[in-house]
Amino acid sequence: MTRDNRTNSKSHIPKGSFLFEKVVPVALAVMGIVMLGLILFAAGVLLGIVKF
Amino acid sequence: MSVNHILPFVSTIIMLFFTVSVLQRFFVRRQPHFLFWGIGLAMFGAGSFAEAYLALAWNKWVFFAWYLFGAALNAAWLGHGTLYLLVRKKWVHAVTAILVLGSLFAGNLMLQAIPKLDEAVFTTDKIISEQYGTKALEAGEPVPAGAQTITTTYRGEEVTAVRGILPLGAPVRLTTPFFNIYGLLTLVGGAIYSAYLFWRKRVMPNRVIGNVLIAAGALLIGFASTLTRLGYGEYLYLGELFSAILMFAGFRFAARPQPDEVMQSAPAAAD
Repeated sequence: MTRDNRTNSKSHIPKGSFLFEKVVPVALAVMGIVMLGLILFAAGVLLGIVKF
Repeated sequence: MSVNHILPFVSTIIMLFFTVSVLQRFFVRRQPHFLFWGIGLAMFGAGSFAEAYLALAWNKWVFFAWYLFGAALNAAWLGHGTLYLLVRKKWVHAVTAILVLGSLFAGNLMLQAIPKLDEAVFTTDKIISEQYGTKALEAGEPVPAGAQTITTTYRGEEVTAVRGILPLGAPVRLTTPFFNIYGLLTLVGGAIYSAYLFWRKRVMPNRVIGNVLIAAGALLIGFASTLTRLGYGEYLYLGELFSAILMFAGFRFAARPQPDEVMQSAPAAAD
């Protein structure tokens, strides 16, 4: 029983965790924005807007 | 020899371990996403090794490998592995065919560029990412310090260009944005999407963190490549090294064994 409880707590996101409540969502949002920026840059290269 | 000459060696060793680790999983589980990840990582490693080699000496076939595998193809193949993991539909096989044909096409364009390479401009004093491309100068644009220039005809106009190894307007260079856009969208987008799904379901924190690390690593190399395009190639190898470390750590994190109960819910979260 003790073992099961420990296992389940490891496979669920802990409640009240600063990492999972704050850092992860912000990181995901920022990375999504940066990804879009890089895709736009690459598209700019393709369209000849960005010289290389 | 500068730090930038040593970094690719370190990246190569990390990518070798990473590639072997992923391909071992493919041979055990026979799941296609491991195969595409393995191929993409092998390409990444080949690119890193080529950088390390080109820091010491010139070889046109090593340059071929550096550009084709390191600059053009690896992100797309890695990302395609993520597409196979997330989307279990028949149309993914059609995308596979397009990726394979596109890669062969890019390889053919690179082969055509080989006889036209300006080998005389190569130097071991500069890293390869700072000397591979020939860049036409705009009217009035100053010549960068120490750069060799050439006057040539490009698109019907006489232009002055900073000499690089690949000729001005080499068609193979036009293929790289296609592969890299696809790679960014699938590899980074796929990792962000996976992390978000697990995070929303409040399960498997290791996969949330693992996917965040993979996305960060892939973005880092994309960002470093973009800086190279803008003329700041000195950050590329550091970016590659951190990218290799972050993605390997992310893969190890995400691949940690999970309790059976939660593993059963994982496919639903990943689909």
